Amino acid sequence: MNRTPKPHIGMKLPDLFLPVTRKLVSMGAAASRDWQPQHHDPDWAREAGLPDIIMNNYTQAGLISRFVTDWSGPAGRIGRLRFAMRRPLCPVGNLTIRGAVVDLSAESDTLIWTEIDAEILVGDNIVTTATIRVALPGPGGDSSAWHCSGSRWNP
Amino acid sequence: MTSLPDTVKDWLGRPVIVMDHVLTVEQGLWANFCVAIEDANPLYWDYRLAREETETVIAPPMMLPSWAIDHDWRPEREGPAPRTLELHFMVKDALGYKNGLVTEVELELHEPLRAGDSVKAEQILRSVGDERETKLGTGRNWEIDVVYRKPDGTLAGVQSLTFLGYGRVGA
Repeated sequence: MNRTPKPHIGMKLPDLFLPVTRKLVSMGAAASRDWQPQHHDPDWAREAGLPDIIMNNYTQAGLISRFVTDWSGPAGRIGRLRFAMRRPLCPVGNLTIRGAVVDLSAESDTLIWTEIDAEILVGDNIVTTATIRVALPGPGGDSSAWHCSGSRWNP
Repeated sequence: MTSLPDTVKDWLGRPVIVMDHVLTVEQGLWANFCVAIEDANPLYWDYRLAREETETVIAPPMMLPSWAIDHDWRPEREGPAPRTLELHFMVKDALGYKNGLVTEVELELHEPLRAGDSVKAEQILRSVGDERETKLGTGRNWEIDVVYRKPDGTLAGVQSLTFLGYGRVGA
């Protein structure tokens, strides 16, 4: 499989659209064994001051990772993900993840660190902001970022 | 500045909770996560395509913290399952808040996990902020790092979390 993009600063990644359903919120929580009630019990969530059940951080991280690797293909290796959950992500409406390349740095001719700023929106509201650092193969090499280990891997 | 209970001060900067080999990493478990988020990355699914990059299929890297979370029930266990990020609940309870939420997360990812792996996770309280008024009521933030290693000591990753505790117990 060879569909690795050639990133440049300002390059937009394809948007990811997904309906935010109770199934997605509760299935993501269950698959990460996160049985905190705010992820599956609407009554408990409202008692805690939330509008409804909320998507857990593992599911949000998984969706942001999917957004990046849908673009990069399997050659993309995420080294760092930082995200802030600004508003509760509840099962209402549709979710959009959008983002763009904001920085590039070549660690060697075999590896390009690509920094992406992204955000999760529900309707027009930004609910989560994220920065992702993903390693892609450089122009001079045919080795994989996945083959870097130990001191050669500096995320 | 609101003073901290001595117990909380004592937890700062050192591993307080250590979870070791809670679960064995297995594809059936990570497939459920991929299904939930509809993630088709072949590194998680396809042995033939994964061979070139990662030798064999790997667990989705964002699932790293979940490998230190036990099943909700086990036949031999008495009492409830250990809570997700137990140190967070210890801090929340010691500071007297009813509720706690994760507000920010940073994941630094190192060696990927494959079927048969397990992790040792050390939970470390990094800081506790001053009490302040938040949108959800009086509360404060605290930061916890979790360091994940494979059984041979290889670093699998570090998770840094910022929490918001709010709602005074008894208020």
